[in-house]
Parts: sequence; structure tokens; C-alpha cells
Amino acid sequence: MTMTATKTATGALPGPPAGKKPRRRARRILLHAVLAAGAFVTVFPYLLVVLTAFKSRSQLNSTEPWLPGLPPTTANLTTLLASDFPRYLGNTLLMTVALTAGQLVFTTFAAYAFARLRFRGRDALFWLYLATLMVPGAVTVIPLFLIMRELELINTWWGLLLPHLLGTPYGIFLMRQFFRGLPAGIEEAARIDGAGPLTVLVRVLLPLCRPALGTLAIITVISSWNSFLWPLIITSGDDTKVITVALAGLRNGIGVDQNLIMAGGLIALLPMLLIFIFFQRYIVRSVVLTGLK
Amino acid sequence: MTAPRSGAGLGAHPGPAPAPDVEGPAAPAGPTGTADSRPARRPRRGLRGLRGLGDLHAYLFIAPSLFGVLAFLLLPVLIVLVLSFFDWELLSDPTFVGLDNYRRMAGDGGVWRSLLVTVGYVLLCIPLQTVLAMVLALLLNQRLAGVRFYRALYVVPWMATPIVLGLTWKWIFDPRDGVVNNVLALFGVTGPAWLSDPTWALPAIALVNVWQYAGYNMLFFLAGLQGIPRELYDAAAVDGAAPVQRFFRVTLPLLNPTMFFVLVTNLIGAFQVFDTVFVMTDGGPSHRTEVINFKIYGTAFREFDFGYASALSMLLFVVILAVTLVQVRFFAKRTTYDLS
Repeated sequence: MTMTATKTATGALPGPPAGKKPRRRARRILLHAVLAAGAFVTVFPYLLVVLTAFKSRSQLNSTEPWLPGLPPTTANLTTLLASDFPRYLGNTLLMTVALTAGQLVFTTFAAYAFARLRFRGRDALFWLYLATLMVPGAVTVIPLFLIMRELELINTWWGLLLPHLLGTPYGIFLMRQFFRGLPAGIEEAARIDGAGPLTVLVRVLLPLCRPALGTLAIITVISSWNSFLWPLIITSGDDTKVITVALAGLRNGIGVDQNLIMAGGLIALLPMLLIFIFFQRYIVRSVVLTGLK
Repeated sequence: MTAPRSGAGLGAHPGPAPAPDVEGPAAPAGPTGTADSRPARRPRRGLRGLRGLGDLHAYLFIAPSLFGVLAFLLLPVLIVLVLSFFDWELLSDPTFVGLDNYRRMAGDGGVWRSLLVTVGYVLLCIPLQTVLAMVLALLLNQRLAGVRFYRALYVVPWMATPIVLGLTWKWIFDPRDGVVNNVLALFGVTGPAWLSDPTWALPAIALVNVWQYAGYNMLFFLAGLQGIPRELYDAAAVDGAAPVQRFFRVTLPLLNPTMFFVLVTNLIGAFQVFDTVFVMTDGGPSHRTEVINFKIYGTAFREFDFGYASALSMLLFVVILAVTLVQVRFFAKRTTYDLS
């Protein structure tokens, strides 16, 4: 399944005709060289994170950041894993799963309505959604906190999740653009068969939206995993503490070194990388769309 | 060009292609919905009778998100708007001061300096980031061994936690021991002090953001590229279009919806840049990286002048709204559908 999807996807650009093999090979090698060099520059700062995560305190001061500490030590990682860090990882996972599930369902519904249905007030409402993105969150966070206090949701899971659970304007905007990108009138065949809007969405449009849904899933997972300001403000106990807040706490802790922070950053990154690699298979052209000739 | 019309909704072709109304009458269409057999505009007979039902469906679809947006996004914004007419130091009771905050803003040189710094940052960051994201997407949209591995690597910076990121980039930009200046020294160039240099601090911040978000934006272009029907490229190839022509005549116009999303959201994000400044320069040296959102943060949480911070937020809102409207107009001319 994955393999076929990848093949259809990567065939997007028609390859040169046969007989140009040597030129094609040289081009391929050049491409790999460019991509690898770019990837090295891109990942380099993380290389420092990895190297530092395996350094002891004395190595941290005696070696350059871009050189490994010898012998490498796993003390930072084991210290963190023996503390409450795994619990915070669990909390983060729970938050991420809930927010992603909510985002995928409610964002898709709303984006579908904004993109492919007509109703009174549609454009005004969409502008309202967009406008909320334009006010900086650093300031709106205070009123939001006061609202949550009125609702008695401070330091609760609901308080943590609710603001982002029901679909975000950002995600809705993204999906709306993709829904609008689908050919006009592809719903018609289904409508002739008497399908309602929900059936049209689930049976006709969503299979065509796999790349967009994959993208939405990835950005939701990772932005939830990385969310910092709101969890910091709304939660205080260990029951709801997430990894970003725990990492920030490390920085403020007395006698905590950069190597421990970097180890925490590394532990936080690895699940995200795995999740990205898992979801990546969905950001490819769906087989269905290719068949729509 | 003899391209099939199946991509009409993407905006490559002139003429109206409005988003279909599900409750409207069915137009004659082939079983696969082949665009060639479809009239450019479907008849709208009987629309009025079914409109109520259509509205109801649509409202049900947006209801959950509408509740969330109203209660947790719009209400706080409205409260901020109201607070911008008050003097409020968070702990005391707010007192109504009318337009005082706005008057004060007009005469506050620091605010206009911050806006200029922000505009400078946007100009340094957005063009480079967008072009880089597009180039990456094109390169990584090919049949190539290890293409998925590359994609993952290029997206890694976006997964960075700001705290970790701030520390590493400080090391990299360190005037004496930093990687950047050591590499420059290999070429006989003496690098500046970067984050504490008045000229280079802002470009350094912009560079870090380009690094962080180029791969992220590549994802959207990648998804957009995947949505372009392959037949269009075949048709262009038959017509003898060179790769560069194919990009500007086929790919770029068809990516308009994606480009619109990427530019609008990135400009909103760039005008609100905060994290990188916070962890790397704290607004310095001598306010050279004090972007407007950092100024707002400082006003609210360091000076506890929340009323004034609210008024500044409204100023930033108006600036971003204006920038967004310009983009809407720009793209409205280039797509068969627009935001309205």
C-alpha cells in the first residue's frame, strides 16, 4: 500500500526518455549531493543537541559544542528517565492524541462547509476565523485564562484541551484551501445517487484529500507536542504537566546544566520524528486522484 | 494547451468555477465527473427552495469549531479590544481612559521603531523562506532513493523546542567559538559578533526562522504538488514546454491555493515573531531586534501595563489585516475563486 502510493506520488514529474541514461545519472548524483549538503546544514544544530546530550558536566566545559565528549555518557538520559520525565511524556502523548483527533474531525467538517457548501454568512464567518489568527496570542492568553477561571477549568485536562480541541482557524484555513483545489463538481455523481453532504464528504472528498489530511495530522501532532505557552499558564500540577513545561522548568532549576536540557530536548524530539515518518506516507498523491482522468 | 479540465477548480483556467453547492440541482455529468462534459456553470434552478436545508447542514458542520472560535478565540480578542481603552496593571482594577492608550501610541517612538524592525524582519525572512520551501518541495517531489529520509531531515528544525533551539543557536553564532565565525575564518573572513552586533542581529534572527520554517512550508507545497493532475504535465510536455516553462505556466498557477495559504499564514506568523527573539537576543542590541510582538510582551509582562499592551495588540492586528487584504486582492486576480 505504502509502496504503491509512493510510486504514484514520485512519478509526478515525467522522467526523461530512455537513452539519456548517463546524463540522468549525473543529474541524480548532483541532486543527491545538493540534498545531502542542505540536509547537513539543516540538521547541524540538532547534531549539537545530540552531542551535548551525551556529555558529562566536565566535558561540556572542556570540549567544543561540535565535538563529541569522549567517552560519551548516558547519565543525562538515565537521570531524566528515572525522574518524572516519562510521566510528562505520557501526559504530552495524551494531549497530542486528543487534540489531533479533535482537530482532524472538526476541522475537516468546518473546512468542508467553508469550501464547498453555500450558506448565509459563510464569508463573514470565515473572515472572523481568520481575524482571530491576527491578534497576537501573548496578550489574548490573559483573557482566555480569566474565561477558564470562570469555567473553573484551571489546572484540568479540559482547560488544557478545550481551546484547541474543536478545530483551529489555521487548520480550517489549510483544509479549506485544499478542498477548494479539488475539481469543481466532483460531488455531482454522488449527489445523483442521493448522497447527503456527510456522505459526499466522507466517500468522495476525503479519499481525494489524503495529502492534505496527512499534512494536517502532522502539523497538529507536532504543534500539540510542542505547545508551550498555554500548558504553562493553565496547568500547575504534575497530573497535567507536559514535556515543554518540564523542559522550561529544567532551565530554571538550580544546578541544572545545558547537557541535561539537551538530553530532554532529544527525548522530546524522538517521538516526533517517529510520528512524522509514520504520517509521511499520507502526504503523497492518492491513488484515487490519479485515476480521475 | 490541451490539458484536461479536471484541474479547473485549482484556478488554472479563467472563467467562474465556484465551489459547488451540494444542495443545488444536479447538472448533467459523466459518471466520473469528467470536466470536459460539464458546462462551465451549473444551472441554479430551484436553489431557493432547498437553501434552508443547505444552510442547516453547513451550520451543523461548522458548529463545533464555531463554538470553539467564539468562546476561546474571539471572546479573548474582544476583551483585549475593550481593555485597550483601559488602564490596567493586572493586579489593580482597570480604569477607563478612553483613547489615551492610542494617543500615547502615536507619540511613542519606540512603537514605530518596533514596527520598522518587524517590517525589516519580514522582508528578510519571508521571500527567502518561501523560495527555499518551494525549491525543496520541487526537489523532494521526485522519484528518488531516500526521498522520505530527506523530507524528514528537512522538517526536523520545525520540531525544535524553542529553549533547546535558543541555546544551540547562541553557540553557533558565538563571536569567538561559534561555528559560523570559525567557518568564515577558514576563508579569511572575520565574522561579526552576530547576536550582539547592531547590524547583524536581525538578519541572524531571520536566518534562524528561515532555517526553522523552510522545511515546514515545504510540506504544504509538497501536498499541493501532489494534488496537481499528472495529465497536465504530460500535456505540457507534448506541447514542448521546457521545465522552467512548465513550472511557471503549470505548477505555479495550480499551486495558487497553497501559495495563498502559505503566504497569508507565514506573514501573520512573521509579523508576530517572538520565540526566537526571546531566546536569542531579548530584543537587543539597543532595540535592534525588538520586534513589535516582543514589545507587546514586555509591556504586558515586564511593565505590567496591560491596557497599553492591548492597544498595541490592536495596532498589530490592523497591520496584519491590511497585509492580508493586499494578498487577497493579489490572489483574487490570479485564481478563479477568491476569499470572498
